[in-house]
Amino acid sequence: MPVTFLTGPAGCGKTTYAVDQLRRWLVEQIPSSSILVLTPQQTLAHPYRQLLCQPDLPPAGEVDILTINGLARRTIDLFWPLGAVSSGFGRPNARPIFLDIEQAQYFLRQAIDPLLQEGYFDPTATPLTVPLPRLMSQLLDNLNKAALIGLPHTAVADRLLRSLAPELPGHRLALEHAQVCINRFRQFCLDRNLLDFSLQMEMFYRHLWPVPGVRQYLTRRYRYLIADNLEEDTPLTHAILRDWLPHTEAALLVMDEDAGYRIFLGANPQTAARLAGLADETIRLDRSHVMPAEMAAFGDQLGRLVVGQKVPRRPAKSTAPNPRQAFDFVQTRFYPQMLAQVVDRIAELVAAGTPPSEIVVLAPFVSDVLRFAFTEQMKRRGLAVRSHRPSRPLNREPAARTMLTLARLAFPHLGLLPDEFDVAQALHQAIDSLDPVRASLLTQVVYRRGTLTAFEKITTDMRQRITYQAGVKFDQLRAWLVDAQAEQPSPPLDHFFSRLFGEVLSQPGFGFHTNLEAGQTAARLVDSARRFRRVAEQVPLEINGPALRFPDGDWLNRTYLETIEQGLLAAQYLHGWETAANEAVLITPATTFLMSNRPVDYQFWLDAGSSGWWERIAQPLTHPYIMSATWEPDRPWTDADEVAAQRDRLYRLVLGLTRRCRKQVFIYNPEVNEQGFDQRGQLLILLQRLSRLTLEDD
Amino acid sequence: MTAFKPRPSQQKIVDALLSDRTHRRLGVSAVPGSGKTHILSYLTAELIPHIDEEQEVLVVTLVNAAVDNFRRRVNEFIRQKGLLPGLNYRVCTLHSLAHEIVRQRPALVGLSHDFQILDDRAAAYIRREVVEAWLASNRDLLEGYLADVSDPRKVRNKDLPELALSIAERFIKEAKDRRLTPRRLEDALYSHPAPLPLARFGVEVYRDYQARLARVGVDFDDLIRLAADALDFDPDFLARLQQRWPYILEDEAQDSSRLQQTILDRLAGDRGVWVRVGDPNQAIYETFTTAAPHHLRDFLARPDVLDLPMPEAGRSSASIIALANHLIDWTMQAHPLPDARDALQPPYIRPTPPGDPQPNPPDCPDRIVLHPEKFSSEKEINTVVRSVKKWLAENPDKSVAILDAQNRRGAEVVSALRRAGVDYVELLRSTASTRSAAEVLAAALSYLARPDDSPRLVELFSMWRRDTLEQEAYRPLYEWITTTLSRCRRLEDYLWPGPGEDWLETQLSTLSEEAWAAGTDPDEDESIRQIRACLEEFRTLVRRWQAASVLPVDQLVLLLAQDLFSQPADLALAHKFALVLRQTADENPAFRLAQFADLLAEIASNRRRFLGFDEEDSGFEPPKGKVTVATMHRAKGLEWDRVYLLGVNDYSFPSGQAGEGYYSEKWFVRDALNLEAEALGQLDALVRRTPYREGTATEQARIGLVKERLRLLYVGLTRARQELVVTWNTGRPNAGRSENRPALPFLALSQWWKDRPEAGKEGNREQ
Repeated sequence: MPVTFLTGPAGCGKTTYAVDQLRRWLVEQIPSSSILVLTPQQTLAHPYRQLLCQPDLPPAGEVDILTINGLARRTIDLFWPLGAVSSGFGRPNARPIFLDIEQAQYFLRQAIDPLLQEGYFDPTATPLTVPLPRLMSQLLDNLNKAALIGLPHTAVADRLLRSLAPELPGHRLALEHAQVCINRFRQFCLDRNLLDFSLQMEMFYRHLWPVPGVRQYLTRRYRYLIADNLEEDTPLTHAILRDWLPHTEAALLVMDEDAGYRIFLGANPQTAARLAGLADETIRLDRSHVMPAEMAAFGDQLGRLVVGQKVPRRPAKSTAPNPRQAFDFVQTRFYPQMLAQVVDRIAELVAAGTPPSEIVVLAPFVSDVLRFAFTEQMKRRGLAVRSHRPSRPLNREPAARTMLTLARLAFPHLGLLPDEFDVAQALHQAIDSLDPVRASLLTQVVYRRGTLTAFEKITTDMRQRITYQAGVKFDQLRAWLVDAQAEQPSPPLDHFFSRLFGEVLSQPGFGFHTNLEAGQTAARLVDSARRFRRVAEQVPLEINGPALRFPDGDWLNRTYLETIEQGLLAAQYLHGWETAANEAVLITPATTFLMSNRPVDYQFWLDAGSSGWWERIAQPLTHPYIMSATWEPDRPWTDADEVAAQRDRLYRLVLGLTRRCRKQVFIYNPEVNEQGFDQRGQLLILLQRLSRLTLEDD
Repeated sequence: MTAFKPRPSQQKIVDALLSDRTHRRLGVSAVPGSGKTHILSYLTAELIPHIDEEQEVLVVTLVNAAVDNFRRRVNEFIRQKGLLPGLNYRVCTLHSLAHEIVRQRPALVGLSHDFQILDDRAAAYIRREVVEAWLASNRDLLEGYLADVSDPRKVRNKDLPELALSIAERFIKEAKDRRLTPRRLEDALYSHPAPLPLARFGVEVYRDYQARLARVGVDFDDLIRLAADALDFDPDFLARLQQRWPYILEDEAQDSSRLQQTILDRLAGDRGVWVRVGDPNQAIYETFTTAAPHHLRDFLARPDVLDLPMPEAGRSSASIIALANHLIDWTMQAHPLPDARDALQPPYIRPTPPGDPQPNPPDCPDRIVLHPEKFSSEKEINTVVRSVKKWLAENPDKSVAILDAQNRRGAEVVSALRRAGVDYVELLRSTASTRSAAEVLAAALSYLARPDDSPRLVELFSMWRRDTLEQEAYRPLYEWITTTLSRCRRLEDYLWPGPGEDWLETQLSTLSEEAWAAGTDPDEDESIRQIRACLEEFRTLVRRWQAASVLPVDQLVLLLAQDLFSQPADLALAHKFALVLRQTADENPAFRLAQFADLLAEIASNRRRFLGFDEEDSGFEPPKGKVTVATMHRAKGLEWDRVYLLGVNDYSFPSGQAGEGYYSEKWFVRDALNLEAEALGQLDALVRRTPYREGTATEQARIGLVKERLRLLYVGLTRARQELVVTWNTGRPNAGRSENRPALPFLALSQWWKDRPEAGKEGNREQ
């Protein structure tokens, strides 16, 4: 089969076509192990996974559905010895240690802490107003983007400086500091066999992919390729495909027109489009199976206004579709009023028979406060709601806090004793019959200098007040903690949490018994602690001495407890086992919704006046356009570029959203935003103009 | 709304903008009550047809309250023109304009797209920590300024740190208004020939404060400074904004700071039109802020500026106008301090011409009283409260205000009114609803931090029932509940009772027995029913809140708000508090409920600006049949049928005479130095590289205050439509300080009023 390049706007059936192609290959008995489906992120692989679950497919082995990063990790795991030395790793004979984003932040902090102490990014010398975690994420972002466009990591600051007005006071120094930090972190990783995302991609593309044996292994193994949503993937993926396609038996490349929502993550629709030149045939699908005509007109006319084009007047009494019928606009004074009205409207839709899964609530940014406020209001109305991620970072989950506090009590030698308030809350959570008042009282009498006194040691009067029922459970918990404390050496925290949950907290009479949410949180905590330990225990504390010194159990436990308290290991992502209820209204950032590539009947756009619909994610130490493959180095980034980028972003958003809406868009705007600021962003102004045009038409 | 017909003076402005179009800079001196909001709104609507679809008329005003007012009026004018409201214009404060500019290009000035803006409270918190840290190792540097006092330890431990804080605040504000970075000031400090201890303190605290701030966000002053930087750094960006806002209309221009002028001037550029409307006679923020009336006066004097005064005003009666105009005359000609004689200047207020839609109210000279009697502070308030009570009974359909120069006294007036049973509305520096919402949530968090604490539960109960707590009908019920609840030693028996241990049932059965003994059927007793219902409901709520207390503080606050508030503005405030607390929690992982409760209590009590959502703030309309209590500052822009001006003595309105006290000159500082002023004087010497002479800045600050207080008195007088009562008091008894005397301008006005030819012809009905 030839290489096919399939293109067209969203909602025209491209993924359906590609899924059918996969089905055909399987039906034609093409070995499943020779098929690779590449998607830019896991959520976009959903339709392919669903196909593989269908019972009518002929029996076959597993089809690999991967992101380019997943492919890279597998390849590095397999061929580590072939690339470890050339990549510069200090311990080529030891295994590679893959880092996720949180772990990368953790080690970055370790690597650059001495520099920060020396005065790097001193606010009086550099004009940066950036919280430290954000500063670190920008450094990692630069590393990742450099890897994706083939730029040496040592050239990051230079590239940014050449384009970003180098004369700005203090900016040069800030970028120079950034470069030193990037270099320091890279060396830190190389010395310890740590592979953050950037090193994974660099090693794969620069040190393994060129090795004939490696390339042959991959190209001979995967002879059938499907690459979907190419516009959301990176130039590195496109470059690999360019090399790979000549070796395939058949390939289907799928690209969504007018998309590219992950530009800030390094996606590049332009390099994606160039792959069409390698295809034997190009198919364009352009008939929407989703939008009614009014929605198409709305998207089209709003899109035109965005890019500064004139919108043609509709003749009086025209039978042409009226865009005004595709959306409803509601203005409120305050933010919570907007939420209340949105919930009212959703309740009406659901009452009228709309499945909740056909409703999505979108905002440019979804703060934790917004998500919680909305979720609570929905719950009070008995409406199911789900979100794109857990509503709380791990260290703010009540169940996790309880277990963390109990861990501190169990390991007093770590020197991290909890305060009285935390102990009272933990006891209240842990013991089913202990209300908050009695938990507070109990804590005041039993908690002294990090240890819990036995219930029998307190006065009779107080025992009566606490109740004997609660006292029995308290003693059981206390005894368990005393036993755990006596264990030598101390167990790893993931083991401790697992046992604490299984042996005590989930048992009858304790707080997590029949509490499914607490069970899920406990699982998240165990997973988080395990992931941290498995990585951190392999990383030597000191590499310059005569022998490598690895962290002991206490070090690992203490560091985990400290790090999670700082909010660094938030684990704020959904695990595979946390399948959210599908029959629920989804609240999510607009771009995240677009990346799920799923049409719905109704969309709610919150905060229409927010500038977030229009303006890109701006960061002072990195830049998605200058750090992209198609940017001409040395070209200055001008205000005109900024405006063009904003228009482009809003244009893609508007078209992407309307093309994924079957019935109606409800647009809400509070006059003042969450922070109390008046807001009149570009989307709002354009909607008002469109309304005016339509009113004048009518 | 009938069609607006501009007066001749207003028409000149309209013509200059729409017909003549030769001037790109216009200055309008608008006397009090001349309708500047109206004309600015009208101009905005008139200009809209003259701009492109992508452009906007930009209206910049001083406070949020004015924004809504403007928007409403502009929309009315736009509707009259048959256009769709809401488009092609933008009304904002300087802060929201600066926010808009910075938000568009945050990376240009070193910010991320989601940068945080710290409210005053959070900024003050950081400043306090920095100042305390500085004092811990450098106290000697400031102690050289202390006088010989009887209790030096108290001064060192309490008074000096507080003074240091206010010096730091002023110093940093001034430095930011001048766009001076800590590093630049440090360089200047080390190269300056003379030791400048206050400047050193200011610079080092500024440096450390900025270092702390940089890891969190920006404060309000940074926002403005960074907006100016952004306009300087990228000429293309500036050009885009200039293209977008071809007309800039600035309201309250007399309160404009140096940096505000710079930003608006840059935005207007060579091709844009900038209209500045204000009244230098009403510039009353100089001592609190970096505003200065000379900015507008200098602007009006520029050769390229077309000066178009608006002297007619229909607000006040002829006598009020005469009194205000005489204050201008007396100041210019007879003020004993020659340097203060330019505090007030023409234009004089003129009545509106015949046929004007806003005619001046009928003159009632007999309703103007400049009360010569010497009152103590307390007696003055009681006398005024008695008078206003009587007046309201006779004039239920009119409006009246009691205005004082001091915020604290406003609170005392409120207490006196409450005791006298007079209806009032409060319009003090921070609005009641911000304080109240924060207070309610603080009480809730404080209790949840210690759920076994009865007094805290009682406090929470009072907050929960705050709307009906003061009502006579409920008073016995709530008194019983709060008294009984405060005696409850085992809260668990009320909130989470075990079998047979329900404290509430025990209390109710005692009450029932008492009812039986009194010959009443307890089942028929309404008060017992009410107590049961109220305490059961409260118990249910407290249990729910306790269950939620394990949640992150932002989520807890949102949940509490659902049960504790019903007003949209309160709910919006709670949402904002949730965001602020979340931010604080992220910055301070060790904070627990007790600390968050403290933080909210601070917002509730410190009366600082908290960027909020108060509906009562926007478009405040003085109600009829109630007394408005406000400071004279807060009353600006408002008007009442009758106005009481309290405390017009030489402490609040000094005239540069011997024996007068100045609140900025602290008793524990040697040589009556005003250290805030001296610190700014040293900053000035640093920047200009000039010698510094101790005491000069104090002297200048005195003159500045004298002038500002003259203007404040002018503002106070011109709030009245028809009736005016002015009184003075001797102040609080205070060892070491002599009694206050009547303010000199008060005496001058009284004398003139008594001596005027018409005096004595009308009967004085006031007692």
